[in-house]
Amino acid sequence: MHPLCSSFARRAATALVVLQTVAGYSLAAGGSEKGPVPKADIATLLRVQSDVQKLLPQVRPALVAIQSGGGTASGVIISADGLLLTAAHVPGAPGKDMRVILEDGSVTTAKSLGLDKTTDAALGQLKARTKPWPFVNLSREVVKAQPGEWCFALGHPGGFDKARGPVLRVGKIIKQTANSLHTDCVLMGGDSGGPLFNFNGEVIGIHSQIWEGRDQNVHVSMAPFLRSWDAMQKSQVIRVWGVGSGGYLGVATVMSDDVELEVADVIDGSPAQKAGVRMGDVILSVNGDAMTDQQQFTATVRARAAGDTLKIKLRTSGKERELSVQLAQRPEEEEGQ
Amino acid sequence: MTNEEFRMTKETRILNDEPAAAPARIHSSFVIRHSALLFLLVSLPVFAETPRPTLPLDQRTNGRDTLVAIEKLRPLTTACTARVESPLGRAICTATIVGEDGYVLTKASEVPDLAKTRVHFADGRKADLREVHRDTALDLVLAQAVGITGLRAVSFGAARPLTMGQWLCSVANSAKETRIGIVSAKPRRIPGTGAALGIRMAEKADEATKGVRIIGIASESPAEAAGLHEGDVILAIAGELVDQFRRVHDLVNKRQPGDIVDVRFLRHEKEETCRVRLASRTKVLQNWEGEDFANGGISLRSDNFPQILQHDIPLFPADMGGPVATLEGKVVGINIARVDRVTTFALPVEAFWTDAQLWIKADRHPPKAVLAE
Repeated sequence: MHPLCSSFARRAATALVVLQTVAGYSLAAGGSEKGPVPKADIATLLRVQSDVQKLLPQVRPALVAIQSGGGTASGVIISADGLLLTAAHVPGAPGKDMRVILEDGSVTTAKSLGLDKTTDAALGQLKARTKPWPFVNLSREVVKAQPGEWCFALGHPGGFDKARGPVLRVGKIIKQTANSLHTDCVLMGGDSGGPLFNFNGEVIGIHSQIWEGRDQNVHVSMAPFLRSWDAMQKSQVIRVWGVGSGGYLGVATVMSDDVELEVADVIDGSPAQKAGVRMGDVILSVNGDAMTDQQQFTATVRARAAGDTLKIKLRTSGKERELSVQLAQRPEEEEGQ
Repeated sequence: MTNEEFRMTKETRILNDEPAAAPARIHSSFVIRHSALLFLLVSLPVFAETPRPTLPLDQRTNGRDTLVAIEKLRPLTTACTARVESPLGRAICTATIVGEDGYVLTKASEVPDLAKTRVHFADGRKADLREVHRDTALDLVLAQAVGITGLRAVSFGAARPLTMGQWLCSVANSAKETRIGIVSAKPRRIPGTGAALGIRMAEKADEATKGVRIIGIASESPAEAAGLHEGDVILAIAGELVDQFRRVHDLVNKRQPGDIVDVRFLRHEKEETCRVRLASRTKVLQNWEGEDFANGGISLRSDNFPQILQHDIPLFPADMGGPVATLEGKVVGINIARVDRVTTFALPVEAFWTDAQLWIKADRHPPKAVLAE
């Protein structure tokens, strides 16, 4: 069962209200900027058209429809060996099986790798095949994209429909944030995970959310994809904004009377417990860096991905020792290091 | 197996291989997610701290500065279009002028009774509309504005050579403005799913009244608009007595979206009658909870067309019936259905213009050999 409509609609309504406020703010900001206003002419539009029509046959085969967890969405292949970009809310978790439909209607499967829940970016891997997969490149310079640039979107709104095929939208970038692009390429349900392209035919965004206005379409930009690439390839889940994947050690610390970092608690079953960290130990250094306060320690651990190994120097009952701990995935709703 | 809407629900279920009922499909795993809301809340401070440049409204794809590009096309688009309105001046739909002597084409299911409408031209003139020919398969009606001449008719061009990604422009906002968009998907036939009231019915006939009890009403459905309530007992549809839900289903489903049926029902032991304007079954089922993510509503009839052209021009249901043209100003179709947030269907010119010319000719030159008795 997937969540259905009534409670869903109410949640959506809340989200829309929140967003309208933001939109109002941004519009006011935009409107107050006076500058040279480039006016379009037919020639500009025709150039946009010819660029889109030239790129379309090249990029379209890399678009896929995804059926996962009772919903339908989209995705895009970005390597010959079948790496797939989609939105994190499509698979919802690593290791999920997804049914994938190619443009010609042929069906295959993919498994989700890691995802960044803070930005809605996700990576998947198509089932291996001997023939290389059709793919598109992704833009490594998305941060340079400016409001007003033309772009185009592909996807399977409402789900895969063979008679209709993929649906194209052409529009402009409205703004860019640290992790997202906003455009007036109008999106709807089923587009999630589909690609937004620049006029080099590179993926610059992955469709993520819409708000009520037709100009309010949000795509995850390539920035968080590139930032979290390694973690996502290792099937890790990123839950904490801005501090990497938030690798999990499983200790709580206090500052001792001697202003040293003391282990106040070790969580049962955590990597720290398995490695032999005990209550009352004093943490001296991590990977050679001296640990002097809790914030530094927290940041150091969270900056590491799950799966990374930390060398921790401890003092137990006056004796120094060093041990290696492999960080795990952070359990849901769990605090502490 | 309890109600009118069952069949479609089941079909959708099979098509999508998913365990739940139909309405979830359209929103699939998009937008309405708990995580989406959290993401938004987390993001707010970021917006506030680092304001980034936002493209002003005027410079967007359908902003004023972009639309100046097609300003020159106005004599071929908005000037060849009229607004169909209610006697009180409310916009119902848009009409495409196809004859200088007052002939217009518009979306038939939006105007079941042309006698209750007026046409309002760009030059300010208003007139009554006389129905000339109604084609249910195409959902088009040909009408003549009474006593009007000197109009400018659209100039048609072929739709068949259009390719995906090609710019189009449409008349919007009560025939006053234009908007641009592109051919966004393959041209194709759109199968019909029949008409619906938007009600769930009790499986068993009501013992005392021999009618069919309504046990649920879809939001923004024809039934809701007509004022039907949960608990009402339907006695007759279009004059035919109904004693089981299958009968209601059959009577409704064989009609077209946009058709009007009289429903006789029992409420608090009192018999009442209301008129219901049916909608496409797809529309009713997809929006059962009223979550209209088309942002502006969708057409009552959005399916069952022999051939359509799909584009992404941001339009509203009242813009249907208006022309869609290339950037050369050649009209390649008539907008026939607002389908969802990203989709408008237009009838391509090849689908109707040969027939429509015959209707006009027959009306201008009625056979003379018929003598009065």
